[in-house]
Amino acid sequence: MDQFLQALINGVMLGGFYAVMVLGFSVIWGVMGVINLAHGELVMLGAYITWVLNKQFGWEPFAALVVVMPVMFVLGYILQRVLINRVVERPHLISLLVTFGLGIMLSNSVKLIYTADPRQTKTALSGFWRVGQITFPVTKTYILLAALIIMLLLYLFLQYTRTGKSIRAAAQNREAARIVGIEIHQVYAITFAICTALTGAAGMLISPTQAIFPFMGPPLTLKAFAITAMSGLGSIPGALMGGIVLGLVEVFIATYIPGIGTNLGIVSSFVLLVVVLVTRPQGLFGGLQPATEVR
Amino acid sequence: MKGLKQIWRQYRLNRWFLFLLLVGLFALPLPQFVAPERKLVTNSLLFSFTQMFMLITLASNWNLTGGFTGYVDFGHAVFFGLGAYGTGILMNKLGWPFWPAMVVGGMISAVFAVLIGSATLRLKGPYFSISMLGTFVAMREIVRVSKPLTGGGEGLTLPPYLNRPLFYYITLILAILVVTLIWWIRRTEFGATLIAIREDEIGAEMRGINTTLNKITAFWIAAFLSGLVGGLWAYQNTFIDPDVVFFESRTVELVMMTMLGGLGTVAGPVIGAAVIYWLRDVVWASFFQYHLLVEGALLIIIVLFVPEGIMGALGDDSSTSLGRIMRRWFRESPKEGVA
Amino acid sequence: MRNDNHRIPLLEGRRVSKYFGGLAALNEVDFAVYPGEIVGLIGPNGSGKTTLFDCLSRVQDLSSGQVFFKGEEITHKKPYQVAHMGLARTFQVIRIYRKLTVLENMLLSRQWRGETLWRQLRPSHRQTEERAKELLHFLLLDRLMHEKAGNLSGGQQRLLEIGMALMPDPDLILLDEATSGINPTLIETIKDRIRALNREAKKTFLLIEHNIHFIGDLCSRVFVLNYGQKLAEGTPEEIVNNEAVIEAYFGADGGENDVE
Repeated sequence: MDQFLQALINGVMLGGFYAVMVLGFSVIWGVMGVINLAHGELVMLGAYITWVLNKQFGWEPFAALVVVMPVMFVLGYILQRVLINRVVERPHLISLLVTFGLGIMLSNSVKLIYTADPRQTKTALSGFWRVGQITFPVTKTYILLAALIIMLLLYLFLQYTRTGKSIRAAAQNREAARIVGIEIHQVYAITFAICTALTGAAGMLISPTQAIFPFMGPPLTLKAFAITAMSGLGSIPGALMGGIVLGLVEVFIATYIPGIGTNLGIVSSFVLLVVVLVTRPQGLFGGLQPATEVR
Repeated sequence: MKGLKQIWRQYRLNRWFLFLLLVGLFALPLPQFVAPERKLVTNSLLFSFTQMFMLITLASNWNLTGGFTGYVDFGHAVFFGLGAYGTGILMNKLGWPFWPAMVVGGMISAVFAVLIGSATLRLKGPYFSISMLGTFVAMREIVRVSKPLTGGGEGLTLPPYLNRPLFYYITLILAILVVTLIWWIRRTEFGATLIAIREDEIGAEMRGINTTLNKITAFWIAAFLSGLVGGLWAYQNTFIDPDVVFFESRTVELVMMTMLGGLGTVAGPVIGAAVIYWLRDVVWASFFQYHLLVEGALLIIIVLFVPEGIMGALGDDSSTSLGRIMRRWFRESPKEGVA
Repeated sequence: MRNDNHRIPLLEGRRVSKYFGGLAALNEVDFAVYPGEIVGLIGPNGSGKTTLFDCLSRVQDLSSGQVFFKGEEITHKKPYQVAHMGLARTFQVIRIYRKLTVLENMLLSRQWRGETLWRQLRPSHRQTEERAKELLHFLLLDRLMHEKAGNLSGGQQRLLEIGMALMPDPDLILLDEATSGINPTLIETIKDRIRALNREAKKTFLLIEHNIHFIGDLCSRVFVLNYGQKLAEGTPEEIVNNEAVIEAYFGADGGENDVE
C-alpha cells in the first residue's frame, strides 16, 4: 500500500514536469499547425543553459529560470523568423523534416561544445520530507510547484492579455484572425518564442533530477506527442491530465516491473500513443484534429 | 535550372550508360582476384560501395511506402533493426548458417510490419509518421531489455566472415533486384494504386480499392527487403547492439536521400543515396565530428529549396525515366496505360 | 412492372442521423431510391446533402440509423465493399489522382469486385482499357488521355470524375453537383447520356444539383433537405410549388434555424 502511494506521488510529480514540457509543443501545434520535432532538443538546450549557470557560476537551478526563459524566448523568436516561418501552412511533411533537421543540428552543436557526457545540476533544495511511511523528495516537490506556477502564469497570459487573446484567436481560426486585423506572422513569432521559453523552463525543471546529455531529446519529443494525443492541442488542463497519466504509467511500470521497468517508460508512452490514436482519433479528451482528416 | 534540364535531355541516361555502369560495377572487385598483391581496389573501397548499395536498397524500400503510398515512415529503420537482430539471434544463439538466418530475419520484419501496420496505417499524415518513430524508439528499448535473447546493451557477436568482395556482390545484386522490383511495381496496377492512395485515399476507397490491403502489402514488402539488408549489415559488421542498429538518424537519412533524389520516383532514391553517400564519404569524412551537423543543415536545405528532388528539378516526376530506359532495354514498345 | 420495382428500394436510409459534436447535420432522415429512378436531392447550402451522400456511400460513419443497398445492410461496410456492390459516386470537392494520367485515373476506377492482389501485379485488361477510352471519348477527354489529371481545367476534372464513376459499370450512381463548372452544351450532352443510361442500361441515379432545370428535366422524384431534415418529397412540379420549400430557399433568414 505504501509502495502504491509512493508510486502515486512520484507519478503525479513526474506528470507536473511533463505538463510543462508538453505545453510548448501542443500550443505550437495548435496555433501554427507545426509539429515541432526539435522539441526535445529545446528542452535539452534549457537544461544545458541551467547546467552552465549552475556549474560555472554556482547558480541555484531554479533561479536559472530568470535567464533560461528570456534566452530561450529570444532564440525561439529568431528560429521562427528565420526557419519556422517558411514551413508554416505548408504540408506537414515539410515542417516535420525541417524541425527534425533542426533537432539534429541543435543536439550535435551541443555535443561539439560540451561533449556527449551526461551532466547533472546540483540544487540546494534536496533531501526528503517524511509523512508517515511516505517520502516526498524535496526537489521534485519544488519542480511540481514551479510547474504549476508556470502553467497558471501561462493561463493568465492567454486569458487576459491582448497578445494572449490574439494567440487564442489564431489557434481557433487563422483566416478570421487575419481578417480582424491580427498580424498573423507576428502572432506566430510570439507564440513560438513563448513556447520555446516554456520548453526551456521544462529543461531547467528536468535538470536536477535526471542526467542531461545532447541526445536526450527524441524520447521527450515522443512523450510530448503522446501526451498531446491524449490531451488535445493547447489545452492547459488537458496537458496536466495527460502529463499525469503518462507520469503515473511510467512510475508504476518502473515500480512494479523490477529491473527493466525504467527502460520501458518510452515503450509505455508509445503504446499509449498508438492505442489512443487508433481508438480515439480526436484524442482522449477531444480537441485533436481527427487523425483521419489531417491534410 | 533551365540549362541543367537541357543537358539532362541531351545526355539522358541511355541504355549504354546503364549497361556500362552495371558492367563497371560488376567488374570493380575483379582486380582483387586477379592481382590481389597490387592493391588496385582496396577492401575499404569495396566496403564503401557495399554501404552505398545497402543505402540505395533501404531508400528504395522506404520510397515504396513514403514516396509512392505517401505514408511517410519515420521509423523504417525498425525493420532494418529487426532483420539485423533476427539474423544475429539465429546465428549466435541457434547456430544457423547465414542465408536462412537472413531470410528468416527478413520474414520477421515482414510479419512485424503486418502487425504494426494494421494499427498505424490507419493513421494519417503526421500521426502515422510519429507513431512509427515511436515504434522505432520503443523497439530499441524492448531489444535493450530483452537481455536473454538479444544480449541487451552488450549486444551480440556474429561469426566473423570478412569477405568484402562477396558482400559487395550480394549487396549489388540485392540493390539491382530491389530497384528492378520497384520499377516493375510502379508499372503494374498495384503501383498505380499506391500512388492513387497517396493522391486521394478516400476517393480510391470509394472507387472500390481496398486501400488497407494495398497499404499493408506495400508496407510488408518494404519491411521484408529492409530486413534482408539488416541481416546483411549485421553479418558484415559482425557485431550488433541496440544503439548501433537502431541508430537515431538512420531513417531520416533515408528520407533525406529519397527527397534529394525525388520522392515517389524509381530513380530518385538511387541517385539521392549515391550522392549523399559519396558526399559524406569523400567531402566531409575529414570533418567527421561535424558530419551530423552538416547532415541536419543539408536536410533543411533540401526540404526548403529542392522539395521535388533532383528528378523533379529535371522535369522527370513520377513517370520514371529509369522505367523508360529499362523498357527500351527490353525492347518493349512504350505501353500506354498503367505504366 | 414499375410497381414491383417500388417494393424493394435499391438504396434505402432508415432514420439516418449524423451529429458533429452537438450539431445535427442529419436528423433521422428516411430515404429510398428505387431501381430505375432518377432522383434529385436539393436543399439550401449546409442542409446536409453532401453529408447524406457521405453517409450513404459510407465515406462517413452514421451516428445512428441504417443504410441498405440492394436489400443488404451496408451500415457497417467499408466504402470499397459498397463500391464492389455496384454503387459509385462523384464528389463535390473534386477527388482525382492528380499525379496520374487521365487514362490511369480511369483504369484505376474499374470494377475491382472479387479480384485478388495478384491480379494487380499485371497491367490492365484490354477490355478495361477500351472501356476507359470509349468513356473518355464520350466525355471529350480523349485528347488529354496521357495528360496528368492535375493539369486539367476544373470542368475537365469534373468530367473525368463522372467518367470515373461510370467506369465500374455501377447500378447506382450518386452525382454530387456534377455539372458545376461545366459548359452548358456539355451539360446537355451529359443530361442525354444520363437519360440514355437510365432507359437503356437501367441505371439508377441520385443527383445533388443546384441547376433546377437539370433536376426538372431528368428527375422523376425530388427530395428536399433543410437543416438536416427531410422537408418535402415529390415530383419536380410539386416541389417547385411547395410552400415550405419556397420558404426554405427564399424566405428563411438566419434567425429561423430552430427547426425541431
